[in-house]
Amino acid sequence: MATIELRGITKRFPGVVANDSVDFAATAGEVHALLGENGAGKSTLSHIMSGLYRPDEGEIYLDGEPVSFHSPRDAIDAGVCMVHQHFRLVDRFTVAENLILGDRRGAGRSFQLRPGAVVDQVRKLGERYRLPVDPRARVWQLSVGERQRVEILKALYEEARVLILDEPTAVLTPDESSTLFETLREIVAEGRTVIFISHKMNEVKAVSDHVTIMRAGRVVETVKTADADAKQLAALMVGRTLETVQRTRTGTVEGDVVLSVDGLSAESHRATTSLKDVDLSVHAGEIVAIAGVAGNGQLELAESIAGLRRRTAGTVRIGGRAVDGVRAAHDAGLGYVPEDRLGTGVAPNLSLAMNIELKSYREDQLGPFLRMGRMRERAEAAIERYEIKAPGPHAEADTLSGGNIQKVVLAREFAGKLKALIAASPTRGLDVSAVETVHKHLLDAADRGVGVLLISEDLDEILALADRVLVMYEGRLTEAPRDDVAAIGVLMAGGDATP
Amino acid sequence: MNHSLLVVLIASGVAYGTPLLFASLGELLAERSGVLNLGVEGMMLVGAVMGFWSVQRVHVGSAALSLILGLIVAAFSGATMAAIHAFLVITLRANQIVSGLALTIFAGAVGLSSYIGSDLNLADNPSSHTFQPFFPNAMQKWPVVGPIVFGQTALVYLSWLCVIAIAYYLTRTRPGLNVRAVGEAPGAADAMGISVVKYRYVHTLVGGAFAGVAGATFTLALTPQWVNGITGGAGWIAIALVIFAFWRPELCLVGAYFFGALQALAPELQARNISLGPTELWTNALPYGATVVVLVLVSWRGAARRLGAPSALGTAYAREEA
Amino acid sequence: MRLRIERRLDQPRWLAVVVPVLSVAAALAIAAVVLLVTGHNPISNYRKLVDAAFVQTGSIGQTLIAATPLAFTGLAAAAAFRMRLYNIGGEGQLYMGAIFGSGIGLLIGGSGSASPGVIAAMVAAGCIGGALWASIPGVLRAFLGTSEILTSLMLNYVAGYILTFLIFQSQSYWRETKGFNATVFPTGKQLPSNAIWPQWTLHTQGGLPIPLGLFFAVLAGVVLWVLYKRTKFGFEVQVLGDSTGAARYAGVRIRRKILAVMAISGAVAGLGGASQVGDFSHGLDGDPNGLQKQAYGYSGIVVAALGRYNPLAVLLVALLIGGLDNAGNTLQGADFPSGLVGVIQGIILFCALGGEVLVRHRIRVVRPVAATA
Repeated sequence: MATIELRGITKRFPGVVANDSVDFAATAGEVHALLGENGAGKSTLSHIMSGLYRPDEGEIYLDGEPVSFHSPRDAIDAGVCMVHQHFRLVDRFTVAENLILGDRRGAGRSFQLRPGAVVDQVRKLGERYRLPVDPRARVWQLSVGERQRVEILKALYEEARVLILDEPTAVLTPDESSTLFETLREIVAEGRTVIFISHKMNEVKAVSDHVTIMRAGRVVETVKTADADAKQLAALMVGRTLETVQRTRTGTVEGDVVLSVDGLSAESHRATTSLKDVDLSVHAGEIVAIAGVAGNGQLELAESIAGLRRRTAGTVRIGGRAVDGVRAAHDAGLGYVPEDRLGTGVAPNLSLAMNIELKSYREDQLGPFLRMGRMRERAEAAIERYEIKAPGPHAEADTLSGGNIQKVVLAREFAGKLKALIAASPTRGLDVSAVETVHKHLLDAADRGVGVLLISEDLDEILALADRVLVMYEGRLTEAPRDDVAAIGVLMAGGDATP
Repeated sequence: MNHSLLVVLIASGVAYGTPLLFASLGELLAERSGVLNLGVEGMMLVGAVMGFWSVQRVHVGSAALSLILGLIVAAFSGATMAAIHAFLVITLRANQIVSGLALTIFAGAVGLSSYIGSDLNLADNPSSHTFQPFFPNAMQKWPVVGPIVFGQTALVYLSWLCVIAIAYYLTRTRPGLNVRAVGEAPGAADAMGISVVKYRYVHTLVGGAFAGVAGATFTLALTPQWVNGITGGAGWIAIALVIFAFWRPELCLVGAYFFGALQALAPELQARNISLGPTELWTNALPYGATVVVLVLVSWRGAARRLGAPSALGTAYAREEA
Repeated sequence: MRLRIERRLDQPRWLAVVVPVLSVAAALAIAAVVLLVTGHNPISNYRKLVDAAFVQTGSIGQTLIAATPLAFTGLAAAAAFRMRLYNIGGEGQLYMGAIFGSGIGLLIGGSGSASPGVIAAMVAAGCIGGALWASIPGVLRAFLGTSEILTSLMLNYVAGYILTFLIFQSQSYWRETKGFNATVFPTGKQLPSNAIWPQWTLHTQGGLPIPLGLFFAVLAGVVLWVLYKRTKFGFEVQVLGDSTGAARYAGVRIRRKILAVMAISGAVAGLGGASQVGDFSHGLDGDPNGLQKQAYGYSGIVVAALGRYNPLAVLLVALLIGGLDNAGNTLQGADFPSGLVGVIQGIILFCALGGEVLVRHRIRVVRPVAATA
């Protein structure tokens, strides 16, 4: 009998049906993967299972009994725990405090806190599952990988019977991912159930017993992992044959250096993310990718080059001109597609039209006055050219879908005389077609002679697009052999790739 | 010795600082849950006038009972005012700053408190009962400790109990842990089954109750009568105090007495014919100027110090989808 | 059954106008209940209000006069709040503008009819006084990150004490020292005749006085509107008001913006102060029960919020609230509850805040999920 079963689950959001009559079941002792592209509905389903969302239709059963979760707490009390992609930890608290937060069993009922007892328990738990973490450390001091461990420990501390992990390897090196898979197998060996959400086939093949493939809100099929092969899974996932995006150019790139960074150092609140003496160069028409697990200085690098973060040492040259500061970088021809779309890339409550002008509003105006008419025309042209789905140029930026917001950012960045472009995690969280669009635009830009610096955590994306690969680890850049995935993995984990 | 300037200042500082202490403790609780309530001045005034009304017009047995009832009425009134703000910013997710200002205008010296005060003719007589020093006269005469510690009213001792209770609550109890989580990371708290809405409502209302009691301290102990606008900006200083105290109750006490002493400075200096610069202007403006200086110092320490403010302070919380 | 508050994908224009209007109506209804409960008759009180504000002879004129300072402080608040700079110091900035404006007027004024030069100087001085006072919290915010809310507010009290000091506690330049009355009750020196701002009278309904300050206020409103909506400066203000991250990314010089906007806000409030002296009191009013009791600065915030920080709307709202204030002043006495004006203003603001939610969100009733067999 299935430990957890969903029947006929439907969930609607304004404008989209995220889950359409979904049936799903997972049993004790198995790792069951939920495979699908971004936007397939996996996250929504997992949020319903963990009590964050309520389904519009359908039922949930635990051990054959119907259950209804009114909140995440109900789910946790019933033994269903989610390990989130974006952690739900209180940064300022210690690990121990985070674990006992909200606990309603036994010691959790006590009014008084007894920190000492918990610390011991947590330490033992960490040792048992090979998830070592200092219970007294404050979460903001931990690395991203360590925070994930805390999240998993939390689920185990709550004695979860069903653990749901949402894209857990996104923040891990290949080695750390293997360790995680071993931990998961140990967890299910105790009779628990693990539901593993991913869009990566190789992981699913590596760790799961069964795979349920979702596409466009529906379940396509559920298969035994051992019986399925990669191509089959891919076809089911995407619904058509994958167009692998390949670089059409081969051979060495002859263009000028459009972006060069020498001896760049910058400070950050943690030692592992501050930049130390970074050098890199990008030629015209080249796509240079920086691989690496999140939290190794990528954000700091992008910001330092774009002028949003102060450098303590080093120079940045765009098209040969040394630049300092946001305006200078922009004027020299640098575009920047930031990782944080809503927080940095757009002003969320301003209109599309204004957002498209966010970099160019200083140019081509009438003295201090804005040319409103021309601005509107430019916005409408951009909407058409980039096929941005929106009610009109007056629509507020944050009402658009992730993919469309990214199109707005691209429309803006590609507008001027672009020499070099930094794209940081440009396809994170986007659905299939949006990812394709973004990749197409990046490739077009490179073909036009723009030098692209792609910073991404997605190795597949990097391997598909890059001419050269660099790896970022603890604030340092190292060149990596472009086609040797194993070597790249080693470098991502801080090892030495020289044979 | 007990009449030296220093001792008198400290003793007065404690007395004058008590409403500041109550009000800042209340605001501290609200802010720890993530709600910024700028309406403290308004809530204090309503508490002041209602507490006064209760003592003047509601007749219960003894003086003590009357005063206790007055405090309860004041607390309740303050909480009611806070409820308006709570509904607007928690349920309707309105802008917390404008809402707090609206509350001050609504309840303040040109609003509800004035309305009640003049409608009920409360300014006519001084308070029938006031809080007297709690300890016997003999103890009050002891050197130094006498006036400072034993010469105070029950309200002062109550405030000390509150400081201890709140400090214990926040650091050593489960609900205290929960409210801190709500103020730092409401998403995490929500995921753990802690009702962000409930905690915010409770702490905002309790904050209002404290503000009400703070106001009553003016009308039932310090000046004991009702004058329109009697708090004279104390509510705003209380808000600044919370920042100054890095959101910790024990530091609220220190800060409150410091500002209380500053406020006591003017009349004391005048009584001794000492002047501090071109007349009263300096001593009048001193508490407010000092607040500015303190705020500057606190924020000058930069980002590291900002680790004091609850991270989610001032932002509305909505679970992504209900 | 639960309420779900959902973001609107499209915001209809008409909603933005209807909601403030409804807020006022709702506020009046609620205040009526308050009146009833406390034993007053809402109908008769409201009628008295409307009468005193708009109907009685001379009332509209009085309303315009009451609206003038509110227009200034409303614009001042709107100018800053639009960028999420919560300048609560309009009150103090107005006082400083009055001090500077009257100072210049006393200094360079002379006899004769109103002199454009002197008046221009007073305008400039008022703006400078207000701008300087607002720059204190501005600088602290821009360079040290200190919250402008509390610093600007504290300075209100300081400015008030300075104002009182100049007239009541010293023999300052502003104080009238000649004449018998001067020793009995401290007053500010009267401005020389060519420093007094002219008033035009529209010959309708028994003469409608239009103070010069009102023109300046309208002008300021238009200038602000153009500045914020049609210039690069305004573009940056809008971006910074929405998202600091996006503003930095766009290359907005954040510190300069904060300084500039605070200075502009202060300048407008300061101009209001100069207008107070030039148009109305003709001498510096340091009486703690005079200018300082009017709370123009704080009312200005109400005006700004109700006008949703749009300078042109603010001007209209100033008229409405001016009427309310005027009525409140006229009616003060045993019959009319004091504090009613603040109560109504507060409720209006509450309703406006609640109404704001409706503009951006839709409220839906969610029925519980029906269990299927």
